[in-house]
Amino acid sequence: MNKPDVIIGLEVHIQLKSRSKLFCPCPTTGDDEPNTRVCPTCLGHPGSKPLLNKAAVDAAVRLALALSSQINPVLNFSRKQYFYPDLAKNYQITQYEIPVGNHGNITLANGKRIDLMRLHIEEDPAALTHTSTTCLIDYNRSGIPLIELVTEPAMHSPDEAREFLNTLMTILGYLNIFNPDEGVMKADANVSIAARGYTRVEIKNILGFKEIERALTFEIARQRAHEVVRETRGWDAAAGQTYRMRAKEKEEDYGYIFEPDIPSVNISQEYLNSIRTTVPELPSAKAERWVQTLHIDPTDATIISTELALAERFERLAQHHSAILVARWLRRELLRVLNLTGKKVNDVAEQRLHELFDLLEKKTITDKIGQQLIEELAKKEFSPKQRVEEQNLGAIGDVEAIKHACAEEMEKNKQAVADYKAGEEKAFHYLFGQVMRAMKGKAKPDVIKQVLKNILEG
Amino acid sequence: MRLTLKNSGTTMSNKAMLRNYINEIRQGNVSAEEALKKAITSAQSLNKKFHFFTTPTYDLAAKQAHDIQHMVQNHREPGTLAGVAVSVKDALCISGIESCAGSAILKGYKPLITATAVTKTINAGGCIIGKTAQDEFGFGGFSVNVGHEFPVPLNPHDTTRSCGGSSGGAACLTAAADFPHVAIAESTGGSIVNPAAFCGVVGLCPTYGRVSRFGLIDYANSLDKIGPVGKNVEDVALALSVMAGHDQNDATSSTLPVEDYAKHATANKIRVGVIKESFGEGSDEAVRENVRAAINKLADAGCKITEVTLPTTYTYGIPSYYLIAMSEASTNLSRYAGILYGASEPLAGGFRDYFSAVRTKHFGTEAKRRILLGTFARMTGWRDQYYTKALQVRQLIIKEYQHAFSTVDVLATPTMPFIAPKFSEIKDMTPLQNYMTDILTVGPNLAGLPHLSVPCAQAKGMPVGLLLTAPHFREDLLFHIGVMHEQA
Repeated sequence: MNKPDVIIGLEVHIQLKSRSKLFCPCPTTGDDEPNTRVCPTCLGHPGSKPLLNKAAVDAAVRLALALSSQINPVLNFSRKQYFYPDLAKNYQITQYEIPVGNHGNITLANGKRIDLMRLHIEEDPAALTHTSTTCLIDYNRSGIPLIELVTEPAMHSPDEAREFLNTLMTILGYLNIFNPDEGVMKADANVSIAARGYTRVEIKNILGFKEIERALTFEIARQRAHEVVRETRGWDAAAGQTYRMRAKEKEEDYGYIFEPDIPSVNISQEYLNSIRTTVPELPSAKAERWVQTLHIDPTDATIISTELALAERFERLAQHHSAILVARWLRRELLRVLNLTGKKVNDVAEQRLHELFDLLEKKTITDKIGQQLIEELAKKEFSPKQRVEEQNLGAIGDVEAIKHACAEEMEKNKQAVADYKAGEEKAFHYLFGQVMRAMKGKAKPDVIKQVLKNILEG
Repeated sequence: MRLTLKNSGTTMSNKAMLRNYINEIRQGNVSAEEALKKAITSAQSLNKKFHFFTTPTYDLAAKQAHDIQHMVQNHREPGTLAGVAVSVKDALCISGIESCAGSAILKGYKPLITATAVTKTINAGGCIIGKTAQDEFGFGGFSVNVGHEFPVPLNPHDTTRSCGGSSGGAACLTAAADFPHVAIAESTGGSIVNPAAFCGVVGLCPTYGRVSRFGLIDYANSLDKIGPVGKNVEDVALALSVMAGHDQNDATSSTLPVEDYAKHATANKIRVGVIKESFGEGSDEAVRENVRAAINKLADAGCKITEVTLPTTYTYGIPSYYLIAMSEASTNLSRYAGILYGASEPLAGGFRDYFSAVRTKHFGTEAKRRILLGTFARMTGWRDQYYTKALQVRQLIIKEYQHAFSTVDVLATPTMPFIAPKFSEIKDMTPLQNYMTDILTVGPNLAGLPHLSVPCAQAKGMPVGLLLTAPHFREDLLFHIGVMHEQA
């Protein structure tokens, strides 16, 4: 087997959506004034004791189950000790010997499986703000629950890394354990290339997954152009460059010990079963099922499955309408107008889509009118059925009326008629468009085509 | 088989000074305010002689006594420790009161929280008269490893001798007090029973998890236990009944219900196992003889005495204990960096320069030694053979005790291998000799077993302690046999 040109492994840190911090009841969101969401525990005061947030464990177990990880029967926490100004205790409570889950995988849209090494829970350190003369510490972030997900060095391009993260984001959305509006996703990336004998460079603390792709692209180009030494690099997003942080001759030594204040957590089979019932069918499985049973377009299926709200809406609508029609309209039209207006799936009332799809399915309106109506729906709610009646937007199948319009347009566009007769097929489409426009998009397209053809060839 | 005790309904001791005093307070015959005024005056003069306080809290005690008096007058329940002066080891946090665990690095630190054991004691009517002296963070057995400018308590029986440690101030005050008092102390490897034995008072280190550690400034979290020191067994039992119990702020605290330990219990023939190794070489002949005599008296009182052997505990207990305790301590102490609280220095250099300067200046020698050894023991390459191995040995020691308890109900040894040493002798001890003095106490501490030291004799004019150890959560058994000993 050929050795890959590029090898990438990721360590992803995900801020869990959680009301309270991992080891104290302080809220994770709310007042953004620095150092207002703090207590003796997340400030590392002597005498305070960590209390494990069970909901965070539930969330981590859900993710581990969704990723087909092996869940360990007993969870332990450890102290990872190193001195750093963002660490309230100068050690971080994390999991070392026995994480929540080992192994597992994520399947990309192209079917490639990215294997995972482990998944564990840990606390976020405080946030540092460097000024020209000093460094400010905000402990609001101290103790926020994080999940660290470590992949095998299984990705071979920045593209693949982005795909991996997109898929992960989708799964997190399905599990409802990450809020992209409030939570942060950070990653460390290991990158090596064949041309440099796979000398491994680690890029630390890349914030946001779009940056991860940029950082990887830069780093691979840098490695192709320059000698590579084993080192840890940082990512300067503003400059679009990685920069050297420190040489990495050996692994850092964190002197891990078990966290004695947190008793071991037993993960029973009953508990796992109860969590399992809360893990929804994942996007890739949904998409595959739709293609198999509803025969919709695979690309439509993949795109619709990416967002849980959209996927659920699709499944409901497809019970009442042609699945193929619903899939096409959700993916091509609804997503288009949502993009245009910056609205969310649930901003468009489902009942109105029912009405709209009903009109389309019965060919009461043309696609053209359907597109206009869905654009309007994204702006403001109304009843499409009522509007079609009120504004007389129903499809016109009246052959005489269409004949009339065709004759008028042919009269106006003599050149196009001549071109068509000279064998230019494009001219037909042009004439068709003109007639449709004259009929304000309401004419049934197949009738226009038939009538136009009859006249032109008659 | 579990030995069951039957409650006889009577109280334990005829020497029950505390019980009688509390009754007088509760009935309004004695004014708590007046009693505490006297206690404070006495404590002030005793402290000048014996140096047991790091921070006296006389105003707090006076205010609490006033409140109790008020409650009694208004026929409200003043609590089971109403009007008792309570001292608190410096390592237990009291909100707003300087709490330093005897370390200069926490000088000036006033916690935001109060230790649950202290809160429960206050709620039961205890009046907090002061924070007691200790070895810095509990790092020692003689209360001489104190932070810069912190007091070294002097043994009330002979002020040229140590009170023991690390809860030296607690035992010192308990021995010296001529007023109703109990001390809240803390043990990691023997720090309750050691000073209790050296000062001739009763000390109880409960089962790990019996008393909440919330608010305790950590030494080694998997070993730390809070327990009472008093003049007699009943006082200690009374205090434990108040302090013990589950606490949602400490995940390691036990949910088992708390018994009324001060109720007298009766039992059939108690089987006492004398640990053979504890009477070996390396201990004072006078101590051995006195403890043997005390055990013989228990036999006369109806106990069945047998000999048991704990080879693993006595061979590997000390190294296992110190590796675990130091590994945990070295992480606990990493938070003291002069940034958020405690001692600080003018800002200079980078983060590393700054915190190194603070730690170099404000940690004592023994604290630095334990940070270095503890850090070493958990580093890659050494961790498996030191830290991890010590955890494995700890499990073997727990099993060894469990095995011993399959044939006996309690274990008996001397508490300390010798009487309280003179300060001049301590000065010449090497760190290793220091650590070896814990040989008799590290076993029950590693195994998390409750153990009680009762004074059993005098040797060379100094007290000798008998150490009794029971299975997990069998404090009731210890109090029962402790009272038998007192009455023998």
